[in-house]
Amino acid sequence: MIEVEHLRKWYRVHRREPGLKAALRSLLHRPYEDVKAVEDISFSIGAGERVGFLGPNGAGKTTTLKVLAGLLHPTEGRVAVGGFLPQERAREFLTQITLVMGQKQQLLWDLPPSETFALNRAIYDIPRAQYEETVAELTALLELAPLLGKPTRQLSLGERMKCELAVALLHRPKVLFLDEPTIGLDVSMQATVRTFVRAYNERFSATVILTSHYMEDVAALCPRVMVIDKGRLIFDGALPDLIRRVRPDKRVLLRLSKPVEQRDLLPLGTIISQNDAEVIIQVSQEGLQASVARALSTLPLRDLTVEDPPLEEVMRDLFAQGNAA
Amino acid sequence: MMRLLRVIRAQLRASLALALQYRLEFLVEGLLALLWMAVTLVPLLVVFGARGTVAGWSFAEMLVVLGWFVALKGVLEGTLSPSLMQVVEHVRKGTLDFVLLKPADAQLLVSLSKIEPWRVIDFAGAAVIFTYAFRQIGHAPSAADLLLSAALLLAAVLVLYSIAILVVSIAFVAVRVDNLLYLFQSVFDVARWPSSVFRGALAMIFTYVLPLALMTTYPALALLGKLNARTALGALLGAFVFAGLARLIWLSSIRRYTSASS
Repeated sequence: MIEVEHLRKWYRVHRREPGLKAALRSLLHRPYEDVKAVEDISFSIGAGERVGFLGPNGAGKTTTLKVLAGLLHPTEGRVAVGGFLPQERAREFLTQITLVMGQKQQLLWDLPPSETFALNRAIYDIPRAQYEETVAELTALLELAPLLGKPTRQLSLGERMKCELAVALLHRPKVLFLDEPTIGLDVSMQATVRTFVRAYNERFSATVILTSHYMEDVAALCPRVMVIDKGRLIFDGALPDLIRRVRPDKRVLLRLSKPVEQRDLLPLGTIISQNDAEVIIQVSQEGLQASVARALSTLPLRDLTVEDPPLEEVMRDLFAQGNAA
Repeated sequence: MMRLLRVIRAQLRASLALALQYRLEFLVEGLLALLWMAVTLVPLLVVFGARGTVAGWSFAEMLVVLGWFVALKGVLEGTLSPSLMQVVEHVRKGTLDFVLLKPADAQLLVSLSKIEPWRVIDFAGAAVIFTYAFRQIGHAPSAADLLLSAALLLAAVLVLYSIAILVVSIAFVAVRVDNLLYLFQSVFDVARWPSSVFRGALAMIFTYVLPLALMTTYPALALLGKLNARTALGALLGAFVFAGLARLIWLSSIRRYTSASS
């Protein structure tokens, strides 16, 4: 569905020193500088896949997404989406894709969402019957009924995002580009959005590409993860593999029936936190079996669980290393 | 073609709904439009208080120019300016991305995105001015003159629209152009006078660089039966060339556009 070969995207930006003097000088002479937003990325995504783009701010995730959507021309490399060159923005291409941006909205601010729906119906030339069926379906899935008649400006952020998703999917696109769709939403609304995206993906076998700052989004939604850092693709695979590669250690969570001395815990691994009732210990992959066996035989345990390190920590480590590949 | 019309209809519907959303604004703006029309007459009354003709134009003939000016101002401030201010907003906020990803012509989508329907009052005002002017002149314009003048009005709107599109094309490169739009609106004020009032460099600028003369003077001359067919044809042709040029520049600006954030 999506083929990307050696994609590069450089921006030309005007650079100047701070201060008034420099500002005056820049009126006469403007030094330019190339910002390498994307630096040689290649990948391919099959129809119906759900892929998450991960990376710190300014890593090149959104740039890549915009190149795929046809909003930015690649500086170098070949990009094809559904057999089309995105930057040509052919009508047939545009009717197959959609873009949702958590920070920006396409709903008409002063009008109820239903007006934007009607406008998009005309623009996408959606047949009446199909339109009504889609609206009914989306209304049921996202519980939009009470929202569609209210002016957009009176909706809460979460309600607005649900309507944004609906208006972006009226034409039943085959490829969804979601740029931080859950940003600023509360936990339950994040979950609603995730469940919905997944349902849409399964119902229409649509391809989903998601960027997010919330690891939970990616963990819950995307079997495949691409990590982009400083414009390069440094990991492409399943999330558990990524975690294993970056942080091969495990966390052993011990619930104690009575307090224990620290020296009894030290042989197990590195103590991350300890109080009377609960201890978290970091253990290497290889030492895990021995540690668990030792804990079971020597400590007054109520419960023992083994977990992966928290995702946020994995990401922090990944970008701190910067060379996970 | 049918699809195009459906998009235009839907776009107008939404714009109208937007305008009707605020009833008070509707009323206030309507009253303001009336007030401004009255104010428009003042400079003319001042000038003709002192003399009988200006640059060969009588008061009544000058009123005809003013009539077209009022009508065109209605078009400019009722449809073009508000819509194009929306584009500037789109560029600033980065939401133009949504427009560019629609399977319809972006220029069409932005051109009608916001209208102020109370500006219809300007047309009513123009009609009143024309009626009064032709009473003074003593005879009504012939059907042929009316037709020619309508064609020239179309050309005028086209040129006005093209200038607006050019201004907005600049918005893709320099993000802040709201001032440029205001500047254009003030320069447009020149069009209240017949072009022959201006001499030398100004006359050149207002005829060829910013074809303001063409917008009001030619339709007025046509209505007065004083415009020859060749000039009319030239004006029409010029308007189409100008619109084509604006379209090309718009398309190339779109190609150069890179969204506000990376």
